[in-house]
Amino acid sequence: MQESGQAAAAAPGVRRRGGLGQGWPLLGLGLAMLALMLALTVFAPLVAPYDPSATSPDSLAPATAAHWLGTDSIGRDVLSRLIVGGRTTLLITVTAVLIAMVAGLILGLAAGYLGGRTDEIVMRLLDVVFAFPVLLLAIAVVAALGPTVPNLILTIAIVYTPAMARVVRAPVLSVKRWDHVEAARSVGMSEMRLVLRHILPIVVSPILVATSLTLSQTIFTVTALSFLGLGPPPPDPNWGGMLSEARQFMELAPLTVIGPAAAIVFATLTFIIIANGLREVLDVGSVR
Amino acid sequence: MTRFVLGRLAWMVAILLGVSLVAFLLMRAIPGDFAIAAAGSQSVAPEVLATIRRDLGLDQPLMAQYLRWLGHALTGDLGTSFVTRRPVLGELLDRLAVTIQLTLLAAVIAAAMGVATGLAAARLRGVTDWLVRLWNGLMLAVPNYVVATLIVLLFGLYFPQVTVLGYTPFLENPLANLASLLLPALALALAVSVTIAENTRAAVLEVANQDFVMVARAKGLTPATILRDYLMRNALTPVVTAAGLKIAALLGGSILVETIFAIPGMGQYLFDSINSRDYPVIQAIVLVAAGIVVLVNTLIDIAYARIDARVQM
Repeated sequence: MQESGQAAAAAPGVRRRGGLGQGWPLLGLGLAMLALMLALTVFAPLVAPYDPSATSPDSLAPATAAHWLGTDSIGRDVLSRLIVGGRTTLLITVTAVLIAMVAGLILGLAAGYLGGRTDEIVMRLLDVVFAFPVLLLAIAVVAALGPTVPNLILTIAIVYTPAMARVVRAPVLSVKRWDHVEAARSVGMSEMRLVLRHILPIVVSPILVATSLTLSQTIFTVTALSFLGLGPPPPDPNWGGMLSEARQFMELAPLTVIGPAAAIVFATLTFIIIANGLREVLDVGSVR
Repeated sequence: MTRFVLGRLAWMVAILLGVSLVAFLLMRAIPGDFAIAAAGSQSVAPEVLATIRRDLGLDQPLMAQYLRWLGHALTGDLGTSFVTRRPVLGELLDRLAVTIQLTLLAAVIAAAMGVATGLAAARLRGVTDWLVRLWNGLMLAVPNYVVATLIVLLFGLYFPQVTVLGYTPFLENPLANLASLLLPALALALAVSVTIAENTRAAVLEVANQDFVMVARAKGLTPATILRDYLMRNALTPVVTAAGLKIAALLGGSILVETIFAIPGMGQYLFDSINSRDYPVIQAIVLVAAGIVVLVNTLIDIAYARIDARVQM
């Protein structure tokens, strides 16, 4: 489930071949899919053919020229809700993962570079968070604090920070003992500059891959929370909420379910493809 | 070995304490007054609220409240539901039994599918390999609750006479019980089977290039024997690990899948409790589920150390 994106990374020792292509073409495809998704969501109000909250008597309509994906149980245009709903879903996902990335970067650098007591304390605290199943922890926090967009972003960020910190810490631990770092230190380079010039560049590749994998998992977590009724409050649409609402009448209008399902799969696939492409291009080993 | 096991167990207790503290604090962090939430209504007489506060120990310092709550939890008292006014434990155990049944069935399906497709991909290569990897790549992107919803939709559209929702208790009718859990378990198993398939494939490919397999082939063992005695044996460890790591995923996934298929397990209980703001139940489920995951992970670590001595270092 939440770790599913890491499965491809788990294959040890064997160069991955075939399947979904490799390297630059893969990355290009992923970035093109991302660009399409971002363009649609950023310009959502301009692109969406209807007001996503406007109801009409024409409910549960099949796909027509007027409503490409039909309408939902109270006559709202499904396509418009998908496009505008993508805004909320992707906003939460991307913001939360960026926060987790920065927090993980800082904590991982601190733990790995300073080592000793700092390392011990930081990593042990993160282990407690890491011990929780992601979805369960997210549910607990959001159920307690209330499902608002800032709360959702904060929760997701907290949940994914430990994994990010681990990804950063491991290479830092080995790099700080390399000769060029020792050399830089011996000629009197300041600690801050040392970290920025010699340590940070080493972590860029693994954290880029980890970030795109985490994005794919976060799409799952965010939409799952909304599906459970812990998403952004109505009437603003979001993909998980749409899927959940549509279940009641789905036999009458299958597109109301297939639409958001396809959107969720598309977004997840985009980030997995980018992660696999990045892994090949940057030649990063398995990221855990 | 003993030292390693004791260390792991001590660490497990520490993590469990951390988990319990998080579960406790979160439910004290709910917006508004916990006593009003417990009373279930805004318009409660101040005297009643005072009684509730005293009964729940809300007038004591936070640390004392935590210790009291923890003491109760350790002796099996997980609190009283705000909705049914009955102890959480009894209901939770009934629900947990259903969830464990579903999770185990899903694990079996996932292992069977994963090992079969992974093995086929690694041994046959060519088109089979390509198809399996394409399928795996796609399935990674389909969340289990989307699979579950689409299964329900499919049956609703094309086989409306088949009942896919609901649950039959095992004692009532074992066969119907299995039938009622089959589709939910399948929905839950798909994503996990992908991981197992990828791991099996990678492990078999790696072992197949080892010298001892070449020797086995050179001395004339049949491909079937090599597969059974050399490849499967060595490929099994990563498969078991992957299956263990996925316990958390299966438990988490069951929350959604049970809700969709109307299976009265722990996941559906959690879903209902979220909707009715039944905080003691949410707290108890979070504690129990996270506890199970921590326990299983510790057991896997220890089992792994027994198999492979290098892990202890």
